[in-house]
Amino acid sequence: MQILQYLINGIALGSVYALIATGFSLIFNVLKFSNFSHGALMTLSAFSGYFIAAGNGWGLVPTILVSVLTGAAVSLFGEFVAFRRILTHNTSPVYFFVSSITLGTLYEGIVVLKVGANFYNYPRFFGKPYRIAGLFVARSDIIIFCISAAALLLLAYMIRKTKTGRALRSVSFDRDTASLMGINVTRTIQFAFIVSGALAGLAGVFLGINYTLYPTMGSIVVKGFIASVIGGLGSLPGAIIGAMLLGILETTLISIIGSGYAPVFTFVIMLVFLLVRPRGIAGSNIQEKA
Amino acid sequence: MKKVLSLVLMLAMLLGMSTVFATEGPINIGCLQDISGPTSSLGNMVYGGVKWAVDEINAAGGVNGRMINVILYDTKGDVTEAINAYTRAVTSDGVSAIVGPPVANIGLAVAPESENNDVPILGFAIDKNCQLKPDGTPYKNMFAFQPAAHQQSAIMGEFAIKNGFTKFGVVYNEGNAYSVSLQAPFIETVTAGGAEVAQVVTYTKNDKDFRTLLQPILNADVEAVFIPNYTQELILIAQQIRSMGFEGALICGLDACPPFNTLFGEPADGIYFINNIDGTEPAIIDMVNNVKTATGIDATNKFFLGYDVANILKGIFEEVGTNPADVRDAVEKVTDYKGLTGNITIDPATHMPKGLEMVMFKYEGSTPIMLERYAAD
Repeated sequence: MQILQYLINGIALGSVYALIATGFSLIFNVLKFSNFSHGALMTLSAFSGYFIAAGNGWGLVPTILVSVLTGAAVSLFGEFVAFRRILTHNTSPVYFFVSSITLGTLYEGIVVLKVGANFYNYPRFFGKPYRIAGLFVARSDIIIFCISAAALLLLAYMIRKTKTGRALRSVSFDRDTASLMGINVTRTIQFAFIVSGALAGLAGVFLGINYTLYPTMGSIVVKGFIASVIGGLGSLPGAIIGAMLLGILETTLISIIGSGYAPVFTFVIMLVFLLVRPRGIAGSNIQEKA
Repeated sequence: MKKVLSLVLMLAMLLGMSTVFATEGPINIGCLQDISGPTSSLGNMVYGGVKWAVDEINAAGGVNGRMINVILYDTKGDVTEAINAYTRAVTSDGVSAIVGPPVANIGLAVAPESENNDVPILGFAIDKNCQLKPDGTPYKNMFAFQPAAHQQSAIMGEFAIKNGFTKFGVVYNEGNAYSVSLQAPFIETVTAGGAEVAQVVTYTKNDKDFRTLLQPILNADVEAVFIPNYTQELILIAQQIRSMGFEGALICGLDACPPFNTLFGEPADGIYFINNIDGTEPAIIDMVNNVKTATGIDATNKFFLGYDVANILKGIFEEVGTNPADVRDAVEKVTDYKGLTGNITIDPATHMPKGLEMVMFKYEGSTPIMLERYAAD
């Protein structure tokens, strides 16, 4: 029974990691670089949801909508100011990395200007937990899991079954060839940033609901990065599997060896895993450019 | 060469003179607080209280005709920033005294540094190691103006035993001096009172999801959980333990004082906490209303701590002048100062207050209800 409770806790944690990892992987897939502004974008979007919606007494759905729309819009803005010229001028890919760090600092700075170092708390959107056969399952976990799953299924459908999704896959495989085939590469990349930003907004709200809102909450993006690496950089199903495994691994280790040592062992296990399987669970041999 | 040497010497003398406190003009006091870091809500409140008191003093003519000037230093909740700011205060700004932060980690870092100077730091860090050296003697400049951790924990422990709780869990941050300093005396007190501490759980500052850590406490079927942590962590732990179905008592330190109830986001029934002030006293109510009207700020306990200390300094400046060493000696002798946070007497052996009262509260919904006063002995 105890193990089952830890498993539930791990899946709840993993479902939020999955949203972060997927948004992260999406950009890696298309531009082959790790977008480290993703965490700060989550923070900015989540705070927008708080100040525009939740703080004014609006419910969960409007809060999510505001955060998702903010995430998408700001991500699109980021693509234009920080990455577009690097892409069009075929500048060294190292600049993607530098730009993403700079952009992240900018987003975080905007949040700090508005809220200082204070933390905020979303109103309680959910009631008491369910008790099922001696196990406690928080309503927030169920709803977060369901919404995350729905968003990821929608993304998977879009990538596999729609014209835009096929364009996205083509661009991620080879930008130049995709362009020669008549695909508007810039539009496709913009689309990837919009979706990634929307996922960042969604993840930001869920993180805020579970762990309060604070300007450095975006640092949790490291967990999304780890999940992407475990799953195989660039692979969306791999990112989800990696996130779930990471969530379950963390809760299991905390229950066995406590909170102090758990992160150390998590990283050791990850390193060993990557030694054995460098491309992750489902990844192909994509080489990161920056 | 001689000219250059003379110029250098003159410059050094001028700089040296500028670091000596002034005997005329405004009296400088430093206010070393976290204004923009993780404990900024506490630091801003202390500064607000100091500023309010100083404005009152200056409006009434100052100290023997001299105005008091508060120099604010933002530690940003960071030890290095705090030490740099402290050095600037005592070497460049010529402060006669410093109002210190209510943050143990900062107090612990500044304490050894303060031995090299004569400027007293009137702070609120409740870890006794901020005031006492390892050999048990006090740092000459470090003072606390609220009961120490062992005193506060003893009060919370006595209260818990008196109210019939017999089985406890404890969850604390092993990397935070404040949290660490509160848990051991609480466990000692309740154990001495015949109760059982069934589970003690530690966490680190990186933890945000506490559910797996809290599970053993729930499994132990405890009646109350002691949570001596900063407000943000406290909110997370309280929310998560409630989401896991725990309906017992949560016994918390000063961090559950208002505005915890407004930040918590849900009814805070079953949460007990200790406070420096009794918000039902007329003098406190008056000041809260005045501050709210003038500034829009809801004054909390840290505001009143800052207010009392600034007024204590005023009395000392009137009595002994503004030489930091004289001020320090006078701070050590503060006796029965009747402040809004109680009657303050500093114990020269520990540089902490003796017999200062604290008040236990509980929340009903989001309303704090005063329960009982305890003297911190």
